[in-house]
Amino acid sequence: MNDIIVKLLWTLLGLFIVLNWGLLMGATMRKIVARVAHRYGIPFYQPWLDLIKLYSNRSSISHGVMFYLGPVFRLGGGLGIFLFLPLIYGSEHFSNFSWAGDLILILYFQFFGMLGMALGASDGGHPNSVIGITRGLGQFTTVEVPLTLAVISIALQYNTLSISEIVAAQQGGFQNWTLVTNPLATAAAMLSLLGLFREAPFNLVKAPNEVPIGPPTEYHSAFLGILRTNGALLHVVEAALFMNLFFGGATHWVEFIVKTFLVYFWSVFVGVVSPRFRIEQSVTWFLKIPLAIGILAVILYI
Amino acid sequence: MENLSLEIVTLITGIALLLIGIWGLLTQKNLIKMVIGFALFDTGIHIIMVSIGYVKNRTAPILDQAVKTNQAAEKIVDPVPQALVLTAIVIGLGITALMLAFVLKMYQKKKSLEINNFNDLKW
Amino acid sequence: MVGPLYIIAIALGTAFSLGFFKKANRNIPYAIMFLAIAFMTFISGQWLYAFLANQQEAIQIFTAGFQPPFSISLQMGLHEAVFVSMINGIGLLSALYLYEQFRDKGVQMMMVFILLFMGLNVIIMTRDIFNLFVFLEISTIAIIGLILLEKKEQAMSSGFKYLIASGIISGILLIGIIAIYYYNGTLFINDIISSNPLLLKGGSVAVFLTLMAIVLELKPFPVNGWALDVYESAHPGVGAILSAATGTAMLFVLYKITPFIADPWFNMIATIGIITFIGSNLLGIQQENAQRLLGYSSVGQLGLIMLVIGLSPYLGDNYLFIGFTLLISHFLAKAGLFWIAGIIKQKKIKNWSVLRKTPLLMVLFGIFILTLLGFPPFPSFFGKWELVMELSNNHQLAWIIAILAGSFLEAVYLFRWFGYALKKEIKETTSKIQFSKILPPFLFGITSLVAGYYTNIFQGDAYTINYLPLALVLIITLIDFISAKIKNSLAILAMAYYGFLTLPGLYENDFIRFIFMAIFIGGGILTLIAGYAYQGKRKGFYPAALLMFAGLGGIIEAQTTLQFFFAWEIMTFGSYLLIIRGKHSIKHGFSYILFSLGGAYLLLMAFGLMNAQVGMQISALSDINTHLNLIFSLLAIGFMTKMASLGLHIWLPGAHAEAESDVSPMVSAILLKAGVFGLLITILAMGAEYAQHSTLLYILGWIGALTALVGNLAASFQEDAKRLLAYSSIGQLGYILFAYAMATHLGWVGGFVYVINHFAFKAVLFLTIGAVVLRVGTHKMYEMGGLIKRMPLAFIAVLIGIITLSGVPPLSGFAGKWFFYHALISKGWYFQGAVVLFAGIIAFLYCFRLIQSIFLGQLKDNHRKVKEISIWFIIPIYTLIIGIMIFSARPHWILQPISEYIAPYFGRELTWNGSTAIAEMGYWNGEWIMYIIGVMFVLILGWLLYTNAKAQKVKQFNIVYSGERPFTPETTHIAHNMYAGYSKALGFIVEPYITKLWNNMSDAIVQLGGLTKRIYNGNGQTYAFYIIAYIVITFFLVF
Repeated sequence: MNDIIVKLLWTLLGLFIVLNWGLLMGATMRKIVARVAHRYGIPFYQPWLDLIKLYSNRSSISHGVMFYLGPVFRLGGGLGIFLFLPLIYGSEHFSNFSWAGDLILILYFQFFGMLGMALGASDGGHPNSVIGITRGLGQFTTVEVPLTLAVISIALQYNTLSISEIVAAQQGGFQNWTLVTNPLATAAAMLSLLGLFREAPFNLVKAPNEVPIGPPTEYHSAFLGILRTNGALLHVVEAALFMNLFFGGATHWVEFIVKTFLVYFWSVFVGVVSPRFRIEQSVTWFLKIPLAIGILAVILYI
Repeated sequence: MENLSLEIVTLITGIALLLIGIWGLLTQKNLIKMVIGFALFDTGIHIIMVSIGYVKNRTAPILDQAVKTNQAAEKIVDPVPQALVLTAIVIGLGITALMLAFVLKMYQKKKSLEINNFNDLKW
Repeated sequence: MVGPLYIIAIALGTAFSLGFFKKANRNIPYAIMFLAIAFMTFISGQWLYAFLANQQEAIQIFTAGFQPPFSISLQMGLHEAVFVSMINGIGLLSALYLYEQFRDKGVQMMMVFILLFMGLNVIIMTRDIFNLFVFLEISTIAIIGLILLEKKEQAMSSGFKYLIASGIISGILLIGIIAIYYYNGTLFINDIISSNPLLLKGGSVAVFLTLMAIVLELKPFPVNGWALDVYESAHPGVGAILSAATGTAMLFVLYKITPFIADPWFNMIATIGIITFIGSNLLGIQQENAQRLLGYSSVGQLGLIMLVIGLSPYLGDNYLFIGFTLLISHFLAKAGLFWIAGIIKQKKIKNWSVLRKTPLLMVLFGIFILTLLGFPPFPSFFGKWELVMELSNNHQLAWIIAILAGSFLEAVYLFRWFGYALKKEIKETTSKIQFSKILPPFLFGITSLVAGYYTNIFQGDAYTINYLPLALVLIITLIDFISAKIKNSLAILAMAYYGFLTLPGLYENDFIRFIFMAIFIGGGILTLIAGYAYQGKRKGFYPAALLMFAGLGGIIEAQTTLQFFFAWEIMTFGSYLLIIRGKHSIKHGFSYILFSLGGAYLLLMAFGLMNAQVGMQISALSDINTHLNLIFSLLAIGFMTKMASLGLHIWLPGAHAEAESDVSPMVSAILLKAGVFGLLITILAMGAEYAQHSTLLYILGWIGALTALVGNLAASFQEDAKRLLAYSSIGQLGYILFAYAMATHLGWVGGFVYVINHFAFKAVLFLTIGAVVLRVGTHKMYEMGGLIKRMPLAFIAVLIGIITLSGVPPLSGFAGKWFFYHALISKGWYFQGAVVLFAGIIAFLYCFRLIQSIFLGQLKDNHRKVKEISIWFIIPIYTLIIGIMIFSARPHWILQPISEYIAPYFGRELTWNGSTAIAEMGYWNGEWIMYIIGVMFVLILGWLLYTNAKAQKVKQFNIVYSGERPFTPETTHIAHNMYAGYSKALGFIVEPYITKLWNNMSDAIVQLGGLTKRIYNGNGQTYAFYIIAYIVITFFLVF
């Protein structure tokens, strides 16, 4: 029994670190984007202020049960990935519950939050929410294709689908990273990542100026607070997943922070210099060069 | 002409009649003429039948003064075709009669004897 | 015993004496005639009984006390007794049936009638070929006389055409007979056989002419225009006689003279037969006139039996069995159909829907159609089966293909007709039906059923079929008039009893069969519970449903391929009846049955090939050693028609979408698994080694992957909720095909996860959506919306359903995804696998569309008062959901035994450690994932409730809308054409190429038929020319 409580406490500590790092990283990115656009941007502590404000809003309205559950699903999705993902290589404390399932579990657990969020937002009854969701789902289908091929490629390369073992195989220096040993898979996955993180040119889902903020249109107060919490969490764990698969994982928190920042930065970097795709453009984009790279990545290991 | 025996003559006649009959049946558009064609065809067959049963220099298979019962086997032609042809003639007659009856009925209905006018049912 | 000569004597005597009654009340001569023919029937029946029961020896009768050739000889043996009994039997019933006509037309017709049957009797019994000719002519004249029962001009002219044609044919026959006499010196068939006329050159011409005349009497295609005209224009009662009685007698004549025809000529007869069978069935497709259609069908059936006679050298001991079962089926069915045609008096087959006014006639119609087509349990089923088996044993594959092609064409028009009768709206009402008219078809219908049973008994022990479920179906058919609620309870009880009988044994012996049986029976009971929601009698539903389940059970229980095929056909027909019950299902039911039959014929061919090598035990399938690829391909394609794999799927969407609310889950969640089961035993039989290098499986894998992609994508673009689910079934079955085609341990376990999941969630989804449709009255999703407020339980059910479907953890759908990933990597099918996984993500599109368009968004004004779905749907739905939950939390309960079962076949790739599945590359613990996610979910919900306790519920249109308030739900609910952008990008994939392909193919066949039927130009002279030309051409082909 004690073991489990200790385990839970360590997990909570990990969660605390990841969450705060996520908020800080989000603020940093917004600052970078602002500077590129010659604005001053927000203070770095803005996300904390937002969260405090949202959670302490006194008035809030609900459109129904599913509307209420939507954010729960959404945060559950982010948290779930966090729980099933080993964060720090070699650390028993920060490998969370990764023994319950392998990489496949994480890939599919992404959908948990998406689906719940989609349903909750739809229950809000706002047309913009549904428009945003249909775009998001549509785009997501093809985003996953190069990623799937990249995962197959590295599974063939390392002969495992366990994340811990994939990280273990990359230890011993820069030259062992998947980035070096399997550049094609890395390339395919990193292109998919652009779609996953939904920065420009793949930001039609939120599409500022079109569908105000997309799916969460109707959400406010604590609902939005949960969504924001999840946003911070999700960016870090998604980046951590890519870090684990392609960039040698992290053996301590500093490495973790640097690497996740760089992974996230890649999508922001592309985003600030790109216009926005229409939905049919973004859907087909992933089925062109990224798909070709993905196929090559698999062919190399047949 | 010497070589031309009776059976060959009848056979050729029969076949000729048969062919004429078929020709009539297939080319004449008039219903009555078709029936006549059929009758010729039928008659041709009957003559062929008789010619097949013929044996040279023998007489008809009728047991009377001219042919004694005990010599019958040597004297008469094969009796079976003769018997058969009688039956066949009767049947041919029946069919011809029935045909004519149909022609009559058809004419009453449509006032026409053209076979081409009677193809409502097709396909 | 009364001697057979008395048949002739009585007939002649009656015919003559009837002349005295011309002036009398017509009931008196009718009674005399009826008694006479009854006595003739009695005599023949008595002989038949003697032969069957007392081992009576065949007798020869020589008239006038002479020996042949100077006398006419008759023979009465077993065969003759059977045939004269058939002829006199139909004579008796025809006399009854034609009672009114006889009363109207008078004594002459009765004379003609009785002479006709005398002629047919003698034709069968005589052993003298000239006598044969005479009585042939008598019966021809008589039947033409009977044509005059109809006073129409058309009947006259067709009678004339018939006369001309038969005149020529009898001329030919006469020449042939006299020539035979010339060369053999005898007319006695026994002597002709012993003297073998074929030794002489001229003798063979003589036999050829005789043979051709008899063949022409059987109306071979295309030399049969006059007969078709008669079938169309004569009274249906006469059509019945012409088709059943005269046709039967002529076939017996052909059978009788086969001993003295040369071996190579058998091929000629067979060729004539198959051309007739295929040709007339092809032309039947375009027919709209019922009686002419029956004419085509008659001609086709006679062609089929001619074919059997022609193929007799290949058929060995089974020759007579095959020939007779096919003949008796034709005899019973064709007479019955003509009789029904005479009762309902509808020329156009489209108007045969009036049959529904009289359920008995409808049932009889069904029985006769099935009898003709060789469906179980009718005699022709066994006949066709043995035919295929024997031909296969002799490596006559080409013949098998031709026969099945012809049968398929026949099925096309018969099922089109049957569909019209079942579904077209009724335009007119029929007048009262006399007992005398309905009795004959009724008796023949019963005879057909009984004959089917005895055919199977006769066939032998190894072939025994379990008739118990069929008996249950019969009982429920008989009580079809009582309330649906009672029938529903009875059906559930019957299913439960069947499960009680079979399931425990299967659990012990064969876990895989147990799984399928549990799905069939458990699913059957659950979906039947939903049937309590229906009011009234639901006529015809329960026989169909039970028929389908009887078939499904039979498939699992089958030990031999015959039993399997029997059950397969039963299941096909039952499901067809279920599917066609839907409101707009007439064409969907039609395409379903055609695809199913096509598939079934492929199976039949495969079973034939297999039988030639290793016999009929299903377990022996793994022992076959030649034609492996061919047999497995045939089986796979056959089963894939039922699985609706890409290319063979076009029947499914309509069939499932238009079906009734509780039928959709039956045919989707349950029925599709029959194809899966078949595929599964096929691949198991292949064995690991073959499967490893099998190109077939490789292709199946790709087909599965593409099916999944196209099915899911198409589902995303549907506006109709049930159509969406139907396309989703296609996609899911694509996964299953892919999984089994991998033929690896992991792949198969994954396949089973999908089978079980698809059963559960598709039943849940179809039941729920069906129940919602019953409440809101539309299938269109954009006409619904916001129903979560009115039907929360339905919403939860759909939510659970789509989570399972899409493979999101923690529910059991994820197990399928996990196995897929591991299996495809270990198998090396990366690209197919990637397509499958891509398809899996596309599934989110339609899942979201389904739940959002119906339950979320804006509630429509006309739905503000709808109630929660019926409790009778909620019970099975939530039972299934509990099942899903258990399977998700304890997957190893079912998957571990399955895993152990499969491991010996394909090599172990998966081990279980408690609830953790461990493959070479990774691991998965369903139970713990469930716990972790559950706890996490509750914690977050608690946190939200804590921070947001006071959330205030607002009204429907209280949304952020630029300060405006939208007041029409229609414009605010985003549902119609939901994925327009996505469709722009990838919609090209789901263009209906395949539907177009099939349509073009069927159009081509119809066009071919349309062109071919131009040969029947209606001109008697042309027909006469055909006869001559036919003989001449055949002559030059043979000599």
